[in-house]
Amino acid sequence: MKRHILAAAVVVMVIPSGLAAQRLDLAVSPGVITFPSSDPDAVPVISAAPVQVSYRVRENTGAPWSLTVLAGGDLISGSSMVDISNVTWVATPAPPFQNGTLSKTVAQRVASGAGNVPNPNTTGSVTFRLANSWTYSTGTYTQTILFTLSAP
Amino acid sequence: MMKAVWSGAIAAAALLVVSTSAFAQATASGTVNVNANVAARASLAFSSNAITFADADPVATPVMTATALTIDVRARTSNAANVTLTVLASGDLVSGSDSIGIANLTWAAGGAGFQAGTSNSTTAQTVGSWTGSGSPSGTQTYSLPNSWAYNTGNYAVSLVYTLTAP
Amino acid sequence: MGRCVRYAFLTLLLLAAGLVPAAAQTTTATLNASVNGLARLSISSLTISFPDSDPDTVPSVPASQGPVTITARARTSVNGAVTLTVQAADQLRSGLTTIPASQITWTASGPGFGNGTLSAATAQTVAVWNGSGVRSGTQTFFFRNLWSYPTGTYSLTMTYTLSAA
Repeated sequence: MKRHILAAAVVVMVIPSGLAAQRLDLAVSPGVITFPSSDPDAVPVISAAPVQVSYRVRENTGAPWSLTVLAGGDLISGSSMVDISNVTWVATPAPPFQNGTLSKTVAQRVASGAGNVPNPNTTGSVTFRLANSWTYSTGTYTQTILFTLSAP
Repeated sequence: MMKAVWSGAIAAAALLVVSTSAFAQATASGTVNVNANVAARASLAFSSNAITFADADPVATPVMTATALTIDVRARTSNAANVTLTVLASGDLVSGSDSIGIANLTWAAGGAGFQAGTSNSTTAQTVGSWTGSGSPSGTQTYSLPNSWAYNTGNYAVSLVYTLTAP
Repeated sequence: MGRCVRYAFLTLLLLAAGLVPAAAQTTTATLNASVNGLARLSISSLTISFPDSDPDTVPSVPASQGPVTITARARTSVNGAVTLTVQAADQLRSGLTTIPASQITWTASGPGFGNGTLSAATAQTVAVWNGSGVRSGTQTFFFRNLWSYPTGTYSLTMTYTLSAA
């Protein structure tokens, strides 16, 4: 019995502080990002209304954290498709936020930092932009994107 | 020989491009003006530039007849304008100091608008007349009385045709 | 003791290898994009002029502007028909005198474009495509030159219509 207690104590001592259960909070608003139909000549890039990303990282002393976004696929409307790489974003403040391009295969970093973000009102603004093209077929396209706040 | 009148082209146009959008059907339209200038113009073409009467026995051939001369008239003019073809001889038929009066040279005509006549060196004689634009064709068959009185020689005269399309 | 130590080292090993799930929080958002039908037409020349010419030497008068470049931009459904037509508003007219619009023809170049003859009665097809996109081509206009035309400066207006079903 004493041996078991000793082993457990050793483990606790060796585990990095980051393994301790971080407390992460993430919210995105609005949950629907809409690109209105626009004339490609007049509006070559369509900007959606900015998305407010609220996040909080606690009990993460000294360890890195990151916020990523991954698209579930291309923009789809029936049999029509618009490649998701046509959707980019600009984000502020930078840092910790950064601009990027959506991908359906690799989660793209939206923001990153280290340590705690204790303020519950910490937000960033992400404005998604769709490259407008005459080649798009008519339709109402949709796709889900997944935001992930993680602290390894 | 010909009278032709040219006029310059004046082009004026406007382009209107409109686009619309809709869910079901989208249309766009554009307007272009087209101008075509048709100026007064005249053209004459002859089947031959020489009319020849071969020597003949006045008894056997009291009237010498040349091969028919085909004349192609092309004229552009206003709707009701008269198109006129005339011919004027430069003088009498002449061979050295000898001559044959030009009034001996006559013609018969074939084709719509063409008419028979007698050559004249002072007043242009009407060969044909028409109304409005077109490209009529006809023939002139010249004749010359054959006379024992003619001195031998090669007689010649120039005939000047004028096509007028006002 | 030996078994507990082995557990401890295994745990550390898994952590080092990143196989132990890290703390993560996720949320989703939905992207919506509307693409409506849209059509736009641009024509390089505002005017098409045929100069006076000798019908014998120039039986078919090319337009002095040369080829007219047409660019059609259209958004439609997948494989939806996109059609460009042209129709004359009237015959070529100079006062009371007219020349049929059909005396104007064109040759065309570019994908989807075809040759044709102008008509005041029926819209004539200039080009046909399928699906959305930007297409360009040229029309070179000709005027059939006849001696029978009365003199005058004739004009007509022709209207292009681009339709994206």
